[in-house]
Amino acid sequence: MILEAENILMSIEEEKASSFIKRLLGNPSLSTLPVLQREEQIVQFLRINARQLYPTLSSANFFPGKSWENIFRILIKTVIDESNRILFTELDRAIRERIDFAFVRFIEERRTDIESMKEELLAFLKRIMAKPEVRKNFSGPYTSFQKNLTVRYIDEIMERKKYIFFELFKVQKLKMGKEELQNYIKANLLLRPSVHLLTVTDKTEGIGIQSGVVHKQFTDKVFNILRNQLKNVPEALLKSALDSNLSFIEDKGTEATARLTSIFASRGKNYREVKKVERGADSPDKSWFNIARRNYKFYGFDINMLDELYKIAAENGW
Amino acid sequence: MSNTSNGESRVKVFFESLVIVAILLVLVQMFLEDFAVISGWNMDVRRKLSISGFFFDLFFTIEFLVRLYYASVNRKTMHYLIRERGWIDFFASVPLLMFNSGPTTIAILLKGSTLVNVSGILNILKVIKAIRIARVLRFLRIVKIFGKIKYVESKMAQRHIANITTISITVLVFSLLGISILQSSLGLPGVESRIYGEQLKIAKAIDKLATSDEGLNRALENADMFTDTLLVVKKDGKTIYSRYGNGYYAENFGPGDYSYFAKDGLELFFDSRIVSVASSLQNIIFFIIVLLTVVAFLVFYSPHFAITVTDPLHIIERGMSEKGYNLEVKIPSAYAADDVFRVAKLYNEVFLPMKDKFSTGEEKPLLDIEMKDIQDILPKG
Repeated sequence: MILEAENILMSIEEEKASSFIKRLLGNPSLSTLPVLQREEQIVQFLRINARQLYPTLSSANFFPGKSWENIFRILIKTVIDESNRILFTELDRAIRERIDFAFVRFIEERRTDIESMKEELLAFLKRIMAKPEVRKNFSGPYTSFQKNLTVRYIDEIMERKKYIFFELFKVQKLKMGKEELQNYIKANLLLRPSVHLLTVTDKTEGIGIQSGVVHKQFTDKVFNILRNQLKNVPEALLKSALDSNLSFIEDKGTEATARLTSIFASRGKNYREVKKVERGADSPDKSWFNIARRNYKFYGFDINMLDELYKIAAENGW
Repeated sequence: MSNTSNGESRVKVFFESLVIVAILLVLVQMFLEDFAVISGWNMDVRRKLSISGFFFDLFFTIEFLVRLYYASVNRKTMHYLIRERGWIDFFASVPLLMFNSGPTTIAILLKGSTLVNVSGILNILKVIKAIRIARVLRFLRIVKIFGKIKYVESKMAQRHIANITTISITVLVFSLLGISILQSSLGLPGVESRIYGEQLKIAKAIDKLATSDEGLNRALENADMFTDTLLVVKKDGKTIYSRYGNGYYAENFGPGDYSYFAKDGLELFFDSRIVSVASSLQNIIFFIIVLLTVVAFLVFYSPHFAITVTDPLHIIERGMSEKGYNLEVKIPSAYAADDVFRVAKLYNEVFLPMKDKFSTGEEKPLLDIEMKDIQDILPKG
């Protein structure tokens, strides 16, 4: 009887939390943001405004008699549940429809069962999303993936046939077309945060807290674990995705695809769609690449890649 | 309390809008008044235009007095007169009402019956002609509208453009006014002095002949042969010659269109419309010069000022005050050496990369959602 009452009470609370969180998620100012950025926004909003929110949220209409810590825990759980509901649907679509894994045959000699690989990837991504470190570091690359930030640049890279092209096709010796390369980078973006499989709240040895760069030994360690867990995923893809967390300043042997992924994953962080650039300001991409050029050592970017991407953005007014 | 202030601000907005409309209308009226003289429009239309000018000047004088009153009540008289350019409000209203549209309207209202009634005012009208130049100062009033024009959103840009326009037009107006005064006081040759000189010669010739009635009558019989500007001759208050009937004068002549000579009971009226036309032509040329100057400042200088000063500063301000604003200042190569763009270069190359580096370590994302967005579910107060 008591258990039943407790269950009823919990479900009422969940309903209230869900309606409150849905209200926040539905805010027009968040509508253009990818789901993980929305989640980050709400978590931060709750943290910052705890003092003002507590009187209302502890009133009879919401969670009477509960401490802020309890309320916060309920709300965070609800936000994550709500985000996951959306995110997992999106990931499902991303893996099954939006990425054409035909590129796999150009990077793996052995015959890969694409469908099994998709299932494996999807299950893996859903699983690692339970880790806060992964969630936090997934936002940038996921935004880049969702907003197709790489596509138009890859088109230009393929047309110009300059440094990045040379690095991809002569140094890394990729043998694939434009479409395949685009899909390859997209897959890299989704797998990049898997490096956090072994991290614990940014205190793990081997990770630069600020710049997010990782040491080679660390990625190798994760790679060895992952290659056993993701048997259907080509090793080249796994390695490239993990290596996108390395600093090119420290590891000159980092694959071109990893370096490109690193830049665009970073571009996705705090990305905001700008409908109209103000008079007197440079375009968003041009500005971003120029700032990145100045901080390339800090983030471990390949300066020559940034130079080329900057030129592309400047010439196209992006 | 807030209702009252809302009401007050509504009245203020209405009043300011009314002033802007009046400024635009008075510029049209000003142009038409001179254009009507040049085109020889019917006196009735010219009269109406002159009277409407009087009402505009009256309106602007009242506006100036109201603003001055409120400024003095708030102990901001000097602020209003100097910083808010109240002196323009003054020069574009009070002197014009007192020395231009006021006397002209009185002359029009007194035009009444005979030419003699008007003659006493004619000399005053010469002064008026010089004052009329100051009417273009009204253009400075449209500086008030600058804020509503693209490229001039910033207060600083508005102030700079207003200042440069004011200086240019004021120098133009007062130079021309000074030249006019100098010209008449030094007796330098001009259309007016040439016409009046010729008329004076005729008047002296007639005066010579007027020693006997017979001689005067003979001269007047042949008046059409030696002059077409002599309109009316009076001897001892009695009209002894008139080129046209009174109706024609009423329809085609206004104050300032006559010149008047008198000696020993002999009074002569001459047609001076050519002087009025020349003066109006000069006014219109000046009107167009000032109009083009104002338009040039708006069309060419405002965007230039915005692009080279206020826009980059605005971007820098946003980048420094808003966490998520990381757009660089666009630096035009032609102006890269300007002080503003040198600062912008530092902002682009030093400040933004540093800001980016420091914000990377922060856990807090840039918040797009605020408390006010959920205000409806929070208790009031």
